[in-house]
Amino acid sequence: MADERAAKILAAIGGADNVIELEPCITRLRCELEDDSLVNEAALRALGVHGVVRMGAAVQIVVGPEADTIASDIEDLL
Amino acid sequence: MTVRVLSPASGSVVPLTAVPDPVFAKAMVGPGVAVEPDSAAADVVSPIDGVVVTLHPHAFVVAGPSGQAVLVHLGIDTVKMKGESFSLHVVKGESVRSGQPVIGWEPETVAAAGYSPICPVVALDAGSDALTGFAPDGPVAAGDPLFLWHP
Repeated sequence: MADERAAKILAAIGGADNVIELEPCITRLRCELEDDSLVNEAALRALGVHGVVRMGAAVQIVVGPEADTIASDIEDLL
Repeated sequence: MTVRVLSPASGSVVPLTAVPDPVFAKAMVGPGVAVEPDSAAADVVSPIDGVVVTLHPHAFVVAGPSGQAVLVHLGIDTVKMKGESFSLHVVKGESVRSGQPVIGWEPETVAAAGYSPICPVVALDAGSDALTGFAPDGPVAAGDPLFLWHP
């Protein structure tokens, strides 16, 4: 269930209200968030996320090659 | 099926750990190697026979017939260049042969814009022991073998 996974990933980064910008890049979601501290890394890992990398203002969620699909599913939820 | 993965660019082979991006350097999306490209304008070629399943100006994924998918990323953070100085030679969904030009680019323009033009070549979701026969660090030509990917 791709849609469900997108919804769970969105919840684990603090929900739609916390997302300023979300951009897919091949294997990762680049997220600019209102509040980085709301990111639940344990929940993301439980969803099969490969890793969470914080770089500057952005949090990058490494989801694998299906990043484009997940991002468009999340966009539908924003 | 064991897949022979070719270098997408001419330049110099370096380990993935040399890539200035933790997602690649820590092999989070899979093992592989990187190529520090020659600076002159060139075509980046497909590393394997397969179908272009993902295509951006700055990166692409080719999936082989047995599902093995190879990611080639043209430089680091180059998504921010919004396609400038990249030209696509194929479309998403197109079948390509290894060695076929996929994207034309100018590594020197990428470097001048402040980004590393290094090209990670990643065996997506491969096990760490699935790759053998790595080309030694050093000079490589586009189309030269980089490594073997065993199922």
